[in-house]
Parts: sequence; structure tokens; C-alpha cells
Amino acid sequence: MSGKTAIAGVGATAFGKLPGRSAWSLQTEAVRLAIEDAGLAKSDVDALLTAPPLAEPLLLHAELLGGKLGLRTNYLSQKFIGGATAVALVAEAAMAVEAGLCEVAVCLYGENAKTGMPMLFGRAQMGRGQAPSDDIAYGLAGGPIMEARAAKRYMNEYGVTEEMLGSVAVSFRDHASRNPAATYRQPLTIEQYLENRYVSEPLRVLDCTIGASDGAVAIVVTSSDRARDLAKPPAFVAGFGVAANLQGLSDPESYISYPGARSSQTAYRMAGLEPEDVDVAQFYDCFTSTVLITIEDYGFCKRGDAGPFALEGNLGLGGALPSNTSGGMLSEANLVGWNVLAEGVRQIRGSSTSQVPDAEVCIVAGQGGFHAAHSTLLLTRGAA
Amino acid sequence: MPHTLTELVAGASPIVVEETRGYWEGTLAEELRVQTCDACGNRQMPWGPCCTRCLAQNLSYVKASGRGSVFSFTVVRQAIHPSFSQAVPYVVADIELEEGPIITSNVTDCPVEEVRIGMPVEAWFDNEVEDAFHTKLRLPKFRPIKG
Repeated sequence: MSGKTAIAGVGATAFGKLPGRSAWSLQTEAVRLAIEDAGLAKSDVDALLTAPPLAEPLLLHAELLGGKLGLRTNYLSQKFIGGATAVALVAEAAMAVEAGLCEVAVCLYGENAKTGMPMLFGRAQMGRGQAPSDDIAYGLAGGPIMEARAAKRYMNEYGVTEEMLGSVAVSFRDHASRNPAATYRQPLTIEQYLENRYVSEPLRVLDCTIGASDGAVAIVVTSSDRARDLAKPPAFVAGFGVAANLQGLSDPESYISYPGARSSQTAYRMAGLEPEDVDVAQFYDCFTSTVLITIEDYGFCKRGDAGPFALEGNLGLGGALPSNTSGGMLSEANLVGWNVLAEGVRQIRGSSTSQVPDAEVCIVAGQGGFHAAHSTLLLTRGAA
Repeated sequence: MPHTLTELVAGASPIVVEETRGYWEGTLAEELRVQTCDACGNRQMPWGPCCTRCLAQNLSYVKASGRGSVFSFTVVRQAIHPSFSQAVPYVVADIELEEGPIITSNVTDCPVEEVRIGMPVEAWFDNEVEDAFHTKLRLPKFRPIKG
């Protein structure tokens, strides 16, 4: 499996506040841009895999979008496992290509949640009478409140300070300051961070992903042989994993470790790589605390050491593990991990606005359902 | 005040479904019921349609002592949903029950600054409310054990 497929095209619309643009308009633009980026034609595309928009979670999204694109395909899929979807869909596309089901797969997510319908979180998606949707009765309404309890326990367990959380936001903002596509580009200091107000302690506004963004991202996956002849340098799919712990915060372990500990092991094993081989990381930065825990799950630090590691500046350019080099979901846009994935491809191509010199191996994370699902992708510049 | 949250937000009450009916019925009798598996003895919260350890569907409950400790918590400072704006600051906490399982609730009856991980707490039952289908229930909440 390792290195048999590659990401050959990336299409990203503008991100942020895009009044007058429907989700369909953004989604179809991203698909067109991705096909053009790969140097392919629409007639080459024979698979479509989509994640439904959070603001309008249509059951038949892939069918509807495929109709608007006028596609005939040899494979079709729609998936939603929260923020783990982007990486998991690329993994599925790679498996479908490798299994011979299709040749050129387009993976897509697009949203107009900023100017269109607000994102729905809660009962509509989690189900009537189910925990955690019933927990809204306790004022548990919104992602930061879900996450803050894990962050609190993690920080208490390992003596992680607020400065350590803040250093994640500061490093990622520095990257965003060089990215014209980023929503927040004003440089951020740790002093400004510490003056920022709490949403749900210990998380401040600056610890949380941008609430919602308009925009769309499409990714073209094809065989490595075919990718080598296309317009852009391939980002080879060297390894991936998708793991879950569906007990959520009912399980004490979920407060300090994610299923990413297992999905990354699967990805490393498939790729024949170790954490030491990774040059650059794109974490699922829905919250600063999520980044720290993922660093430990992925084996870059021992348990409890990610905070000091971040505080020393290791997540910035020139650090030991430059991360979220587009600014991530904290500063670039909240495309539910898809913008983070697109940046992973740019690093392998050498075209990031915060390029890590000679980046050969990039790891990309996805996390969904508040600790429930985690996906990991290893992209490489050279084939395995 | 935190105990008015369900009154503040339309539709914020839990919705009683078949598999959680016994749990919510218990709250009307001021009982905190932990679901148990007749086959393997597993104790689980929240209530579900089967045992999460062995998948058996013969499930009963034990009446919990109502005592536990704060496993983790957050002080909510900003109402993410505008309906909660009168309630902030309030504490959302995960309580580790003496019987083992962790449940999510509020910690009340103490300043939010005084809540700590490991703090001993006991359950109390808030005012009776109705869910969207007019089923009555009382939300279990937790307060520090004095002394």
C-alpha cells in the first residue's frame, strides 16, 4: 500500500467570509481548481468522495454534488467522522485506487458556515436522547466546553501551564502572518495571549479554532505512476491510520490521550517510518491542548513533555517540529482539517508560505467527535 | 444560577428515550441509578441499549450512593449559545462516582474558583422539569461535601 498512491492535485478556494457564495458554488470551484492543479481534465475523474457540510449535513451530499459536477464515476463515497474525515477520506481514496476500483479520485469538503447557515452542533447531529447531546441541560453547549474538561485534566496531570498552551497559538499565528489566505495574520505575543479572555477555563478564545469559515478544499488522489506524469510534484501517500475510542470522556484515558496514539502507529508501520523521520507536522488544531496531546500520541515527546517542547519554540519554523505552517485552524481557517491537509501537500511540494527546507516527510492529523476518532496521514516527497 | 439552565434554554432538557427511561425515573425518586449488566456485572454511565463490555442486553441498575469526586471540570465564562448568557460563570464537571463510572453534570453551591480536581462531591436533584414529550425528570447535580 505504502507509496502506491499520491496526492496529485489540491484545490482551495478563498477562506473566511465570502458573502454571496453558496456551499455548492465553493465546493464545485474547489473541485475544478484541484483538477486543474493536477493538470487533469474533468473526464479523467472517476471517483468522488465527499464530507457533507456541517451547516447542512445532507445524507445524499456526494450524489447531489456529483450531479452538479455532471460526473459519472467508478467509485462514490460520503463520510463523516467529524474532524477526522479529511485524512480518512484521502485514505479511503488511496485504498480505492490501489484496489483498482477507480483511477482518479476527488475528495471534497466545502462550507459556507460563516455567512450561510450556522454550524449545527448538538442534538441534530448527535441524536435525540443521547449523551452527550443530553448534556446541553448542564450548559454543555459548544466545542470549547467539551474540550476544556480534557485540557484541565491533562494540564493537572502533567503540570502544563497556560503559557505552554499559548505558545502553540503564538507559533501558529507566526506562520499565518506569512500566509495571505489566513484569516488572522496579526502577529501574536504570549503577553497578548495571557490577556485574552477565557471561553471555558483553561481555554481562551485564542486556544480555540476559528469558529466557522466559508471555503472549500478538494484533493486529487491517483496512482503514484500516474501522479509522476502530472503537473505538480506528487505527495506520496506513505501511510495512514484511522482509530477510534468511542467511549469519549466516559473513559478516563480519553482526557490525556487520543486514538491518535494507535492511528499514528498504524501509519508509521505502513510507511516504514519513525517519528524521528518526520520533518513537518500539520496537527488537527481545533484547540491548543489538542495539539499538545497529539504531539505525545504521535511519539514526538514523552507523556507530559509536549508543553515544555512547545514553549521552547519547537513548533515554529527552525524548531524541532515545525507545525501547522499555514496557521492551521487556529489562525488560517476552520475548514475542519481540510486546510490543514492541503498545507501538508504544499510542504511536500515545497510551496508553503512558511516552507520547511527540504521537507521530505509530513504528518497530518485529523480528530473528530471530541476525542472519539483520530486519523493520521504520512505524506512523502520520495516514493517508498 | 446554574440550576436554572434548563429553564433558560428552550429545549435544553434531556429527552427521555426508551433506554434512558429508568435512569430519569430514578431522578424523580432522588435516586442516582448506575446501569449494570446482568451477564458480566459491568457498571456503565450513561445508560445504553446494551453492555459496552459484553453486549448483553439484560440490564439492571444499582442505586448509587450519590457520592463521588471531581474528575475534571471547566468554568464556563462565555456563553457560546446566547441563551446561556445569564448563567455564566458556571461549572461543567465530570464526576467520578464511588461506584466507578464518570458522569457529566454541574458543581453548584460553591464559588466557581473553589472547584478542584479530586474535590469530594455529593448529588442533589434539581427542580422537576419536563422534556419535549412532557416526561418529567430531575437533573442530578453535585455540591461539595462539607467538612
